[in-house]
Amino acid sequence: MKILIADDSRVMRQIVIRTLRQAGYDDHDIVEAEDGADALAKVGSESPDLVLSDWNMPNMTGIECLQALRAQGSQVPFGFVTSEGSPEMREKAANAGAMFLIAKPFNEDTFKEHLDGVIA
Amino acid sequence: MTSTDTGQRRRLSDSRPVITDLMDEATILSVAEEAWISLVGEEEVLVPLPGDLPGDVLSSWVDVVGPWTGSVVLTTGRATAEALSRALLREAAPEVLELEDIEDAFGEIANVVGGSVKAALPGPSALSLPQVGHAPLVRNPGDVCRVDVLWRGEPLTISVQGALPPLPVSH
Repeated sequence: MKILIADDSRVMRQIVIRTLRQAGYDDHDIVEAEDGADALAKVGSESPDLVLSDWNMPNMTGIECLQALRAQGSQVPFGFVTSEGSPEMREKAANAGAMFLIAKPFNEDTFKEHLDGVIA
Repeated sequence: MTSTDTGQRRRLSDSRPVITDLMDEATILSVAEEAWISLVGEEEVLVPLPGDLPGDVLSSWVDVVGPWTGSVVLTTGRATAEALSRALLREAAPEVLELEDIEDAFGEIANVVGGSVKAALPGPSALSLPQVGHAPLVRNPGDVCRVDVLWRGEPLTISVQGALPPLPVSH
């Protein structure tokens, strides 16, 4: 399975990768994107099976990326990993087609809770 | 019937909350502790004790814009910011950390702490991208909630501070 991780923070991408491993999802290909625009391009070029994206990023936000993907007809499974988890944002994410929203700070249990059944 | 302007309506519309109306030090400490456990490590503790910051400090912050507008600012010695960055990166930390790595890691801690502070404030609010450098000035000393902690014995402050000047006092 190929997982695309989009976050403008390299450190946070490392932490997400580490948490995936700690949660037991350690045998997957990881592709990194540094903002929403990069993620949008890499969904096209890399054909990931899942996108884990930050919300607040320069150039193109995570929600703009998701909306652009759905407008293009892509149905790639998409979840947010973000420092903001207000009810309004969760509703906006769900309406745009996100499967889940993991709010930072998170741990491996949070990942398991949301990703079991999503990651084979 | 004539109405008299008592100033009540004007005073109500002019009122805006200061941070101490909305949260206390215990909430900020709790938010910071959760961020530390998640990002820095499960064994990492913040001791709520003040310490003397060194001369060479670095700050990271995010801005919150909404019913309450201000910044969530972390300040610590530059060496402690570097140690924090290494702790976040763990085995991925290079032998020599670039300034970019420190800004990224220290900024991300402010981002996570700021996101949790925002969640505890009345909304809707917007959160900025993190910034690193010299801390924004305190505009209104009455609109600040600050926690002093020690991490691995080194001082660090978390200041949730309003960005707006004080309102004029009515006489």
